Amino acid sequence: MIMEAKGIKKNTAIWILAVLVLFVLSIILGIIMRLNQGGAVHLEPGTFYADMTVHGITMIGIWFVAGMAGVNFIMERYVKTSYWANTFALVMTVIGVVMLWVSTLIGDFHAGWTFLYPLPFKIAWSAWATPMFLWALAVLGVGWLVWVLSLMAALLKKYSISQVFAWQHFRNKNPEVETPPFVLISMVSLLGVLTCLIAAVVLLVLLFAEYYSHGTFVNDALLIKNLTYFFGHTIANEMLYLGLAIIYELFPEISGRPKWKTTWYVAIAWNLTLFFVLLAFFHHLYMDFVQPQGLQIVGQLASYLASLPSAGVTVFSVIVAVYRTKIKWSLSNLLFFIGIAGWVIGGVGAVIDATISNNFLLHNTLWVPAHFHSYNAMGNVLFSLGFFHWFSVEYSKRKGQERLSSLKLSFLLLGGIGFLAAFYVAGAESIPRRYSSYPVEFTSAKLLATLGAVFATVYLIAILLFFSSIFKRCLNMVLQRS
Amino acid sequence: MLKYGLTTFLIFVCSFIEDAVAQPAVGWQEEANINEVIYNAPLQIISGAHVSIHQLAAQNPLVVAFVFTRCSGICTPLIIQLKESLQFAPNIANKKYNVLVVSFDPRDSVKDMENMATRFNLQHEGNWEFAVTDSISRLISSVNFNPVWDEKTLQFDHDALLVGVNSQGFVTKKLLGLRNSKDIGLLINSINNVFSPTYRLPAQSNLFSCYNYNPKTGKNTPGLGMLFIALPAILSFLILIFIRLVSKSKSV
Repeated sequence: MIMEAKGIKKNTAIWILAVLVLFVLSIILGIIMRLNQGGAVHLEPGTFYADMTVHGITMIGIWFVAGMAGVNFIMERYVKTSYWANTFALVMTVIGVVMLWVSTLIGDFHAGWTFLYPLPFKIAWSAWATPMFLWALAVLGVGWLVWVLSLMAALLKKYSISQVFAWQHFRNKNPEVETPPFVLISMVSLLGVLTCLIAAVVLLVLLFAEYYSHGTFVNDALLIKNLTYFFGHTIANEMLYLGLAIIYELFPEISGRPKWKTTWYVAIAWNLTLFFVLLAFFHHLYMDFVQPQGLQIVGQLASYLASLPSAGVTVFSVIVAVYRTKIKWSLSNLLFFIGIAGWVIGGVGAVIDATISNNFLLHNTLWVPAHFHSYNAMGNVLFSLGFFHWFSVEYSKRKGQERLSSLKLSFLLLGGIGFLAAFYVAGAESIPRRYSSYPVEFTSAKLLATLGAVFATVYLIAILLFFSSIFKRCLNMVLQRS
Repeated sequence: MLKYGLTTFLIFVCSFIEDAVAQPAVGWQEEANINEVIYNAPLQIISGAHVSIHQLAAQNPLVVAFVFTRCSGICTPLIIQLKESLQFAPNIANKKYNVLVVSFDPRDSVKDMENMATRFNLQHEGNWEFAVTDSISRLISSVNFNPVWDEKTLQFDHDALLVGVNSQGFVTKKLLGLRNSKDIGLLINSINNVFSPTYRLPAQSNLFSCYNYNPKTGKNTPGLGMLFIALPAILSFLILIFIRLVSKSKSV
């Protein structure tokens, strides 16, 4: 039992190391893309899109596993989790990532991280790269599915379904069994992740069926697009909620404040999120004229109902926790605090774009990467970075004064805000996304792309500063003899 | 137990990777060659002019029809239908286009094509061109048009194909079969670089459509595909209940 708990700790350290290394590499790919759009470097279009593919899918993958690793580690406070499932997910993730990078960077697969049908079958790269890419997703999906199921099983051993979703809190102020917010939000997120991974399984089975049937079976483009975004949109949201589960647990603890409790409004907000986040992906299909109008309206309403209640109660909880109270500020809770601001700003950008009338203007402009980079680069990344920092300090033998904290945060804010501003301004000017280089008609596009690359480099410096201290402590933990 | 299970599964997954290298040719029909450049075949027009397809397209975007003069099948209905549809096609009043009827039969001469134009009363129509080329195999392969010679009937077995080519020489849309004026209108718009929605033709191999269109009633009804979209949510809630029931029974 103790060995397994130590194993989870060691695995968490390995997850952190892997995430940080892949994060730095993916940022570099992102900077190269922006430099190419700015005209400072020249990539062949195929190379640009291969970079874009690997950048997007790696970022989604690593920040999802970062959230999962954090949730798994903290869940040990409440229930016993499976070390083997955690290790299995780790091994599958390593295999999947290697396959993914080989298929894109060597095989030149460049259908984008959303691999929208029928692009994967329009072979403009090495013929083996398409199946390699799809199998990479299958390997990752299986590893994560086992992990998610094991964590759900761990929670459901202790809590009934109504307890794990805090339904007893709807009417009763002081129920017999209290559901900690961490447990509620983790379960909401895990169930959402399970759903989107099942969507991915259906999607991959259909894509494999077409690929291996040699044309005797073909897919319905509308079905595949729906499934792609059911998986892609939902996992991108659920990974944020995994980070929020960690914040609900650690923010008050690190700040020296009383533990947050589940209230009726917290319970209702997160139950709304559980349901509506599964329907919000329809907003990705506003431009698909064959999608029935009813589903487009569902997409808009679900986008509001999934995000606003959970954001509202989280922001409220954080404000109540910090407003006119004595807080023990540290690098971790500062990262959490700034991360929540980034998440909310990105969320507002997302809700603006998810409104049908606005989407006519903003669809496929740089507004889209602007908002999703806001709640990822300045939201979810900071949630996990806060956890990484807390974990590495708390459980490492290499303690000591954290150095250059102000410099790290200043670079992070300056780089992050500048990088995002270049996207937002470009989006507001209707500059399209997914262009490897811009025609002269988009007069400000190249300048904004170059500015974005410069600020992203400042952001990268901040990440490298974090990287050096966290990496050393985690590596030390991994190399320790148990 | 879990360890062995997971290891076996890992080996199982890895064993598939080798099989995954074969790339099948997926049967695309109208979608094939879209946004690709049509082969720049030299043409001999019945007026006596020698031009290439790209030069012709640069003057006006093209609708290319592939026929042969000895055809006893689809070629005549294709040209007649196209001629009629162009008169009634919606939203093409201000659109530029030329129709290029090109023979894919190497036996056809310019004279044969001239006779064909006369037969359809199109020899003096300004935006209709009839032509032959000495590079027909390259031209038809660039648009994935594959006529097959049948020795018994002494005829080509071939599709009725119209290919839209914009003024830069790119294939913008293809239409297979005899199509109505609405589709021809979309074709003319697409070669003028106006957005035209496209869709795959219904086929037996397409099993899981989100909607099934009934041509008799003109209505869509939800298809199996809609079930596939709902399936993940239904399955995950069932799994949730199943896990809880198993944990409960174990704890009892």
